[in-house]
Amino acid sequence: MDVAHPTAGWEQLGPSFYRKVQLYTQVFDQDLDLDNYIVAGAPYSGAIALYRDEGKLVAYQPTRISKPSIDIYSCAGGEPILSIPWDNGSIKGLGWSEDEKLLVVTADGTVRCYFDLQGEFTQFSLGNGAEDSGVKSCRFYAHGLVALLNNNSLISVSSYSEPRPKLLAPPPEGQVHSWSLIPPSFTNSRSVEVLLSIGQTIYVSDATACEDRGLDQGPFTHITVSPNGKFVALYTKAGRVHVINSTFEENLSEHDSKSKIPPKYVEWCGKDAVVIAWEDEVHLVGPYGSSAKFYYDSGRVHLLPDYDGVRIIANDRCDFLQKVPEDTEEVFKLGSDSPASILLDAVEQLEMQSPKADDNVQLIRPHLVEAVDKCVNAAGQEFSEHWQKQLLKAASFGKSVLDIYNSDDFVDMCETLRVLNAVRNYKIGLPLSYEQYQRLSPSGLIARLLNRHEYLLALRITAYLRLPTDKIYVHWASTKVRLGSEDDDTTCRKIVEKLSGKPGISFEAIARAAYEEGRGRLATELLNHEPRAGRQVPLLLSMEEDELALDKAIESGDTDLIYFVLHQLRRKLPLASFFRVINSRPTATALVEAAAHEGDGDGHEDTAMLKDLYYQDDRRIDGAAVFVREALRQPENRTAVDKLALAAKLLADNAKENAFEIGAVREAGLLLRMQEGFDRDLGDHFTGLSVNQTMFKLWRLGYNGRAKKIQGEFKVPERVSWWVRLQALVAKRDWNEIEEIAKQRKSPIGWEPFFNQCLQAGNPRLAAVFVPKCTGLEHGATIMMYEKCGMRVRAAEEAVKLKDGESWARLLEAAGRGTNEGREIERIGGAVFGDRR
Amino acid sequence: MAPQPGFDTEQIKDKARRDLLHLLEGVRGKKNLVIEEKLAGPLGVIVKASTLREYDVDKIFFLENKNTDTSNRNVVFIARGESARNAHAIADQITRLQREAQTPLEFHVFWVPRRTLLSDKILEEAGVLGDTNVAELPLYFFPLDKDVLSLELEDSFRDLYLAKDPTPVFLLARALMGIQQKHGLFPRIVGKGDNAKRVSDLLLRMRQELLAGEDVGEADKVGLSPSTSTESIIIIDREVDFVTPLLTQLTYEGLIDELFGIQNNQTDVDSTIVGAAPQPGAQGGSTATPAATDGQTRKRKIQLDGSDKLFAQLRDTNFAVVGTQLHKIARRLQSDFDSRHSSKTTAELREFVQKLPGYQAEQQSLKIHTGLTEEIMKYTQTELFTKLLEVQQNLAAGADPSSQFDAIEELIARDTPLPQVLRLMCVYSCISGGIKSKELDHFRRLILQGYGYQHLLTLHNLERLQMFLSRSSPLASMIPMSGSAGATGNKTNYTYLRKQLRLIVDEVNEEDPNDIAYVYSGYAPLSVRLVQCILQKQYLLSLTRGNGVASAAGSAGSGAQGWRGFDDAVKHARGQTFDEVQKGEDKAVKARALLSGGGEQKTVFVVFVGGISFTEIAALRFIAKQEEARRKIVICTTSIISGNRMMDAAIEKESFEKRNPQASAAATASPTTATR
Repeated sequence: MDVAHPTAGWEQLGPSFYRKVQLYTQVFDQDLDLDNYIVAGAPYSGAIALYRDEGKLVAYQPTRISKPSIDIYSCAGGEPILSIPWDNGSIKGLGWSEDEKLLVVTADGTVRCYFDLQGEFTQFSLGNGAEDSGVKSCRFYAHGLVALLNNNSLISVSSYSEPRPKLLAPPPEGQVHSWSLIPPSFTNSRSVEVLLSIGQTIYVSDATACEDRGLDQGPFTHITVSPNGKFVALYTKAGRVHVINSTFEENLSEHDSKSKIPPKYVEWCGKDAVVIAWEDEVHLVGPYGSSAKFYYDSGRVHLLPDYDGVRIIANDRCDFLQKVPEDTEEVFKLGSDSPASILLDAVEQLEMQSPKADDNVQLIRPHLVEAVDKCVNAAGQEFSEHWQKQLLKAASFGKSVLDIYNSDDFVDMCETLRVLNAVRNYKIGLPLSYEQYQRLSPSGLIARLLNRHEYLLALRITAYLRLPTDKIYVHWASTKVRLGSEDDDTTCRKIVEKLSGKPGISFEAIARAAYEEGRGRLATELLNHEPRAGRQVPLLLSMEEDELALDKAIESGDTDLIYFVLHQLRRKLPLASFFRVINSRPTATALVEAAAHEGDGDGHEDTAMLKDLYYQDDRRIDGAAVFVREALRQPENRTAVDKLALAAKLLADNAKENAFEIGAVREAGLLLRMQEGFDRDLGDHFTGLSVNQTMFKLWRLGYNGRAKKIQGEFKVPERVSWWVRLQALVAKRDWNEIEEIAKQRKSPIGWEPFFNQCLQAGNPRLAAVFVPKCTGLEHGATIMMYEKCGMRVRAAEEAVKLKDGESWARLLEAAGRGTNEGREIERIGGAVFGDRR
Repeated sequence: MAPQPGFDTEQIKDKARRDLLHLLEGVRGKKNLVIEEKLAGPLGVIVKASTLREYDVDKIFFLENKNTDTSNRNVVFIARGESARNAHAIADQITRLQREAQTPLEFHVFWVPRRTLLSDKILEEAGVLGDTNVAELPLYFFPLDKDVLSLELEDSFRDLYLAKDPTPVFLLARALMGIQQKHGLFPRIVGKGDNAKRVSDLLLRMRQELLAGEDVGEADKVGLSPSTSTESIIIIDREVDFVTPLLTQLTYEGLIDELFGIQNNQTDVDSTIVGAAPQPGAQGGSTATPAATDGQTRKRKIQLDGSDKLFAQLRDTNFAVVGTQLHKIARRLQSDFDSRHSSKTTAELREFVQKLPGYQAEQQSLKIHTGLTEEIMKYTQTELFTKLLEVQQNLAAGADPSSQFDAIEELIARDTPLPQVLRLMCVYSCISGGIKSKELDHFRRLILQGYGYQHLLTLHNLERLQMFLSRSSPLASMIPMSGSAGATGNKTNYTYLRKQLRLIVDEVNEEDPNDIAYVYSGYAPLSVRLVQCILQKQYLLSLTRGNGVASAAGSAGSGAQGWRGFDDAVKHARGQTFDEVQKGEDKAVKARALLSGGGEQKTVFVVFVGGISFTEIAALRFIAKQEEARRKIVICTTSIISGNRMMDAAIEKESFEKRNPQASAAATASPTTATR
């Protein structure tokens, strides 16, 4: 057999094995001296960025352009995917985010984020003094970075979409020998933690504090945190490696590299081993002091750590160094007698048509399910298509023997491997391991393919894996809009032809790309195909299609969008044009009114705006209301009266229709003036009371004439004024006056209220006076009324008058027969009702 | 496909709590919390103050008080994102704190329920967006009880009907969309009223947009096929029936709301009425409100929700029978407690001791509710209350409005609280389709003279709300007059509907109710009758038979859905009528529905746009009880509303007074306060 056995490249390290898989050959041109370059690789086998190390001298080569540039390659090398000419200053940090954004940090603290692999970028500044002190170096993690300044300040950025550079707790002064970070997802504090080697020890700095870990083996030239954030490898000047856990509580292992030369790289290989690389020599250090060595004769190598291993880049090759996965080890280990390994052997026997195949299967019969599972898993871990097939064949053979087996995993694995093999092809250059693919997720993979403009492959994969395709189409169309050379009409027609009827297409995104490219007309045309009204708004606004934006915002029903558009328009347009835009749109007008009414943070109404709005729209009553509200806020009566006059004037334009309002506003002014007079003359406080309250107070204080005057001036209805007067007199306890009133023949409110009020106020004697004056009462009510006044005798008389024997008896009972009262009652009624007992 | 999970309000509560605590956890170290005042109550429904402490919350401030200090490095603002005012206020405070602080502070803003473009813009213009961590806290519905979900937008009534600001409609649609995405589409959307129609339109639009959206993965598919656990959603616009909440509520919970006001399941009652709180935190400790508000006053917060067994039993009964109920309960408690004497064995004794905490809690709650009941009784026995109720019931029953004129005049002359008087006048106007302009002017003069000329603004607001206006007003044109079935849809025609839907039920049994009319002692809320038109067709037909609608009865068999059978009656209520069926594209859905359907209890969502009153909730619960076997009714609303709160939206708060604060104490003397 001409295919090398999988165990060929295995190295034993303590109890486990490590394997070096050759991914690609002929990566870089032999002329390219890797030694002169800084190399950064994106996680999950992503792109590689090269930048010439400014600290190194380079021989002048007339064939090469000497202009500095950042070159981006795939792991397979060859032609660069993108070359970014660089003349923006000295680069102090070059790294990638998890979603393959390239970050370039310059000495002055400017950060550029290249979000696709096509050279588009966003830019922000670190601030916090980075400009003055200068950036020294940077470290990157999945979604953020930390920059170390020359003055030992640390600046953390935790998101690139909304960058908020923040200072971390400052470490002490002194030379930082090396440093590293623990990503926030692995720390207890959920903030990034930075480890710095200063002096003999390590300092840990996070958002709030900087702590000394109290080590004495330093200084350390390299600090590396394992991919799972649990362990830290420290490399001392003396060439010793210490592995400790990331809380610095436990020393896990130590190893002496016996090298005087400081290594270029100290990185983790997975979570169990540390790789140390010099120019052309790579050491692998495992637990319990075990180690292995690899030599590269082709010159300088670079290490690109990944989640489950390390990629080793040299001019002529790209290797992947990882721990041999458990299942793979079980299947392939020499001398293994695991069921999976026997199953694999069985399928080889089968190919040779040997009966031993069946013997093998019978042998592992009880463990067959496990064996099949292992073979499926091991196939996933294989980079060689030959062995993938072999293992899947074994699994297939195994499950054909089983009566019941859930084939889902098997099918999934076949699909996954097809995808993996497709993207591992050197033309694509994404040598994902199974583990990496699981973490990256299929949609993450699609995004990477899109960045590389591999639309066909992306579409095939989505179709194959039954994923949504909308993003691919949108990306394709956006690129077409940017790079295509056809005229607007053709482009639009082509895009719509291809994309119409496909679900989830965001025409807004395509239109935005067109607009950013300066193709405004195309953008408008494309936007018409966007089904989501709300989505169109921000773009329409930036395209200055104001009214259209407002209409679309209203159509969406989302008031935030409407407010947002109105806010922008208000800033932009002269007031008159602004009103013209909103007048024909009731919802917009209502929102402008509501916002002006609510006012700013302190709740001050925007009265000027409202007055203008109502005036130009001829809404007199609403306009007058604004003046009335202003009047209420005036500190003095005089100015309040002025404001009321203004309101009246506004209303007078349509005097007939607003007659009532005009009258009311005038009366309000009149009342205020009269009250001011009372305040002054009577030395009491009247301003702010209503007409009724003013009358009440005047009567209560005994200014009867003034009260009458108010009544007349404001034409207070008789019934109302009688009620108010009655209550005022009762409150004043002016019984004489009430008795005086009682002498009158008629009351517009009847006499019952007088009875009730006097009784409630505790004057039953006076209350009783009103009983005979009440008319239209229910039969027998008078008895109760007298009784309430405590006048049982009068009540009894009334009962006699009304021939109500029962009430009489009840009254007698209540009074008690022995008492004077009782005898009196008996006397009155005895004759009429007889002796009732 | 996994079966769609059944709907449970508890899930919403859990999710809300998780979301909030997760965000708080993300802010490291001790933090000061600054909450929009109107949000404090709703948040209290979700999470207790003590829990916040566990998440390192040190002090809690109200945004409106502007007294946030720099005592902690982290300052967390929680406010509604829809309001520009909040954004301005937060920007101001951040600027102030940055100026005052010695060491740099960390600012975090959690926008509820979503981050808005407008708030971002305002923070950006104030120059603080870059220093602030902005996050979303997607709290839409606050579960007030097992069957009640509310957005708790206190101002929703004012926003919708006075300011014509449709934000509550949008948020409601968003919230309902959230339910659809989790539990499947509502198979049927039925409703009445313009704002209700808007919600329905938005739901359809959002569904289309979701379909058009990116990332339609398998997980989202649930939200795009009709639900098998939901029967339908019924959306009613408050505008259709203003009268019901304007009437005085007569259920126990309703009266507590009328008298003391219930906010986010809590009411503030003077501790002389219900006794002081037993131990701090034992009874009313479930609030997130800052401790500063209690303490100095003698008010006590009472938690009113279904977790109080006694209250759950009483809340929806007519107040007339609450007294006797309380008696019965008191007697039962006593006999239960006395049973300890009869327990002989130690096992029996142990059983008793185990129940003891339960008894004590019940005893406690009995004491509170007896106190409340006595206080309410005092009020209901006043002459004022009797008079108000009499006028209301006469108006509702269709008595000639003019005959009530004198009574209203008297109430004004006696300085009855303004909201009460306005409620009467609005009932007057709504029921008779506007007021004759001469009478209207007279009423308006009475109000202005009785309560002050600032109420010119109040009256103006009420006219804009179309609750108090002249028959000749342009807003009141096209009002269908008594009985005539002419023009429809502009105004609710109570005269016609009173007969058609039998709103007045004379022989109502308050003890053992037989119709929803028990909640108003004889008046059946129109809003809930409309729900019955959909859910209880048979019952309603039997009730109204002989009233001339029998002709329509034939078509409204048990199989009829939507408004069928009552189309004519519904036409006489205000606003658009709609009935949409949401079908899935999937044929399998039908099969699934067939398989799982039948016999099972399905959920019906009853949604009130613009607010629902406790009395209406009680009436809906009464229906839910009858439909228990087949349906589960979940009530959704923008907020809880009452007549007083409706008036509150219109009433002008400022007056010509208060400019001389030192003298204002003397000036507040009014007839009523003086006579008591």
